[in-house]
Amino acid sequence: MISPLLHDDPHTVGPFRILARLGAGGMGTVYLAHSAGGRTVAVKTLHTRLAADTTLRTRFRLEADAARVIGARHGAVVVDADPQAPTPWLATEYVLGPPLDAAVEAGGPLAEPAVRMLGASLAAGLEQLHRSEVVHRDLKPSNVLVTAQGPRIIDFGIARAFGDEHLTNVGNAVGTPAFMSPEQAAGLEHAAAGDVFALAGVLVFAATGVGPFGGGAPTDLLYRVRYGEPDLSGVPEPLRPLLVRCLAKDPAHRPSTTELRTALGGGEDAPADRGGFADLLPDAVLREIARRSDEVWREPPHRLPPPVPAEAPRPEAAPAGISRRRLLSVAGGALLGGGLLGGGGWALFAGSGGTGGGGTKKDAVDRPKPPTQLWSNALWCPASGGEVMQVGRNLVMRAGIVLCGINAESGKSTWQASIEETWRSATDGTRVYALRGYREKASLAVCEVSQTTGYLGKPLAELSAFAGKEQFNQLLCVVDGIAYLVARAASGKSWYLVAADLKSGKERWRSPVEGPQAQGFPPALCGAVIGSRVVLCGSPSTDSHFILLSSHDKKHGRKQWEMSETFAGATPPSRLVADDHNVYLGAENLTARRLSDGGLEWMVGNGRDVGDSAGEERRYGAPLVQDGVVYCTEADRGLIAVDALSGTLNWQEKGLSGRKNSRDVTPAVGERYAYCADDKGLRAVDLRARKAVWTYEATPLVLTADPKGGRLYVRQEKRTLALPLA
Amino acid sequence: MERLRQDDPVRIGDFVVLARLDADGSRGVPERRYLARSADGGRTVLVCLPPAGGDPARWATEAQQAVRLVQPGFWPVAQVGGSPAFPWYSSPYRPVLPLPAVLAAYGGPLPEALVRTVGGTLAEALASAHVLGVVHGGVCPAGVLLTACGPLLGCFGATRATAVAGDAPVPATVLETGCLAPELAAGGPADRAGDVYALGAVLAYAATGQTVPERQEIPVGLREIVTACRSRDPEGRPEPARVLAELLPGAAYGALTASVEPVSLPGRVVEALSRQSAEVLAAALPSPER
Repeated sequence: MISPLLHDDPHTVGPFRILARLGAGGMGTVYLAHSAGGRTVAVKTLHTRLAADTTLRTRFRLEADAARVIGARHGAVVVDADPQAPTPWLATEYVLGPPLDAAVEAGGPLAEPAVRMLGASLAAGLEQLHRSEVVHRDLKPSNVLVTAQGPRIIDFGIARAFGDEHLTNVGNAVGTPAFMSPEQAAGLEHAAAGDVFALAGVLVFAATGVGPFGGGAPTDLLYRVRYGEPDLSGVPEPLRPLLVRCLAKDPAHRPSTTELRTALGGGEDAPADRGGFADLLPDAVLREIARRSDEVWREPPHRLPPPVPAEAPRPEAAPAGISRRRLLSVAGGALLGGGLLGGGGWALFAGSGGTGGGGTKKDAVDRPKPPTQLWSNALWCPASGGEVMQVGRNLVMRAGIVLCGINAESGKSTWQASIEETWRSATDGTRVYALRGYREKASLAVCEVSQTTGYLGKPLAELSAFAGKEQFNQLLCVVDGIAYLVARAASGKSWYLVAADLKSGKERWRSPVEGPQAQGFPPALCGAVIGSRVVLCGSPSTDSHFILLSSHDKKHGRKQWEMSETFAGATPPSRLVADDHNVYLGAENLTARRLSDGGLEWMVGNGRDVGDSAGEERRYGAPLVQDGVVYCTEADRGLIAVDALSGTLNWQEKGLSGRKNSRDVTPAVGERYAYCADDKGLRAVDLRARKAVWTYEATPLVLTADPKGGRLYVRQEKRTLALPLA
Repeated sequence: MERLRQDDPVRIGDFVVLARLDADGSRGVPERRYLARSADGGRTVLVCLPPAGGDPARWATEAQQAVRLVQPGFWPVAQVGGSPAFPWYSSPYRPVLPLPAVLAAYGGPLPEALVRTVGGTLAEALASAHVLGVVHGGVCPAGVLLTACGPLLGCFGATRATAVAGDAPVPATVLETGCLAPELAAGGPADRAGDVYALGAVLAYAATGQTVPERQEIPVGLREIVTACRSRDPEGRPEPARVLAELLPGAAYGALTASVEPVSLPGRVVEALSRQSAEVLAAALPSPER
């Protein structure tokens, strides 16, 4: 709803003058705004903090594309968008209607004719999307706005990949996986038929006020979605057979959107009867639509003044943050998200620069070609924790809210476990571990995840001194039967680095550390056991560029040293890159810090010619250390190889131009090639020729080399590939 | 939002005209009403001009008086401008449907419950105005503007309060005949009883689609009060407060016109209101930089 601007909200976004707030969340803020011509729009912005993340930017662009595909009748009109702006934004029509969940709450379940018309219109909207090969993936009552002219579909399912915000909001039908398809709940491909399943769920909700799988904890819901029978007892009898078909577990048994639309009585085109839909709506919903139509024309509320500082304020706990967070739950007008089918494809070799005029036939024959994929699986890659973990001969990957066991040979999913948050699971290379669900018991427990069923076993260690119901408890790693965690004490607000012995089930030691620094993020970015130490990298606070590195004695937990390190750009490192001597960080410079005392061992970057990107805050990408060599991308020049001990440059990639390296993607190195991600795809750099030899069209987020299996795993936003590692 | 015609002004004062409020061919509209926006894009208004056949100077005087009146249940006049030959007044825009457009959207005469709500609210507005000695003088179907929160009385300018404007004769050409009390049609001054007569005509219009229906066309529940309002003898017409009590027994006096909460309206009427709102929200001035 329309609420006042905060004192630090912008006055303009792109060409729009900001009037009021419509809502805010972890990703950004939605404003009510005016164009120069006085057109009123809803402007969705992406937090500047997140905007440096190229994948988020890409998703933002995809949202605009998908919203354009669905069109004005079934979606919200896209007025303008600038995904490239420092604060990316998307301006859409301000849609005059409450979300379906609010509508049902206000006016009760809809009568059968209204459900039919709603369903026919939603099916027509999905039909439109599917014709353009776009899948919504997150159709649920809160993403359907009920206007007097018919329902409008907003907020595409792409949001699920970031931080699963909607899963933290339990207890109501929104914010649970209640409308997921079984295949999606299993972390598998959710195609057009998945949208049909979700649509049926939305119709059951509209007709009864409850989703077909009820409510409750996400874990239970996920189970019921996958294995349970839908409850259609409150649904009008004539609708049941159709909805039962739509809710079939097997996507192949569900009707198409066209069939569904026809069965619900929808014509090919818009209903000729203007107001026919509105006539079927309950009075309370009509009043809500009328209220929204009128309210938007009232004088916008005044901008709130800056907060008065509290006595002796801590800088990171300013009252502004509190008031802002209070507004987080406010639902907004035309929030849009978009989902397009991702997928790796082929690119013929994009020349290594300067050749021009197209390659000759001879070139095509002589040059190595990009390989054929070994397998691919539609697994989503989370914003953090997306690395491919090798467990025995198989793989484990985090995909949204689930942990998936994958057969490394075939790429097929073998089991799935619900882990709730990406930071609550780890592996020691043979077994898989996760923290017990934070909605379950008062004490914290580390459990083993069964690699056949995906169920969490009996606790291996139960730590009653720590709060089990803390969402941001973190399992850093498990090494030699000891689990290392960051956890909150059961009483009070103190956080500790904890070592728990999984054989005896006892706590070994604990050492106080900083708690979470930013809303929605766990206390640590990463942590690892390196030799005799546990090295921890704390999360930065919101808008800060400081991360706290600390080293603890592995035996007793004693803190040996800690130091603040700055990271450039907006994305802090998500993996600790270290060998026996140093920790390596790529930022404005490539630096090595000694593990013994945290001091600077060497630094590469001062005085280097990095071409056009010289002025950039972040010039060096996430590094990789392998066999005494640190590999790292340097601005947009290419890969460099640096001696890990001395920091001297071994070599640098030749002849690369016209590419934008993806700084957040750590390179992978095989015997013949090093692999880097850039804006054109996955680039293979010949380690002897020190030149790019081919580019595979993909948008990698995480690269993982598997030298034993001879495979390179490429995780993309929506799809994970295996390529032969050479 | 109704499309502009060739003879409509492009600009009125600082405002760029976006659309007409009244549909083409609407009868009995005592003003020319446009949806318009300030050239800087910041303000959207409803702006009114004198009717084609009216006297601009007299209309401008009335507008000057009206801008000083803030009367609950009356459409507010925020700004008066122009010249004596081309006067206008404006008010901040909010989604409104003139009563004829409400009937058009609904597809015929309104259900009795809605007639009672609309009529009761208008009666309350007149009652509170009459207490202050203010007479509306221009009550007619097109002058009733339905918002999401209930109806407001617009079109003050057909005639104006005795207390404010003096005993000016009514220009019979602009007001729908069915709304003009016999004594006013004969050249008498606008007064309170004349407002009640016109209110009866509005009620009749809402319930039947005509300002002068046959008695048996009026729904039984409304027949008596509508007929009483429309009696030829000014002395025989009820006070507005009594009309309110008849239409909405037990309604708390003063609560209707002050309401900022939406009232219950038929689906098709809500559809028309929200469609107008969405269209005006989406309308943009042609900007020079584009």
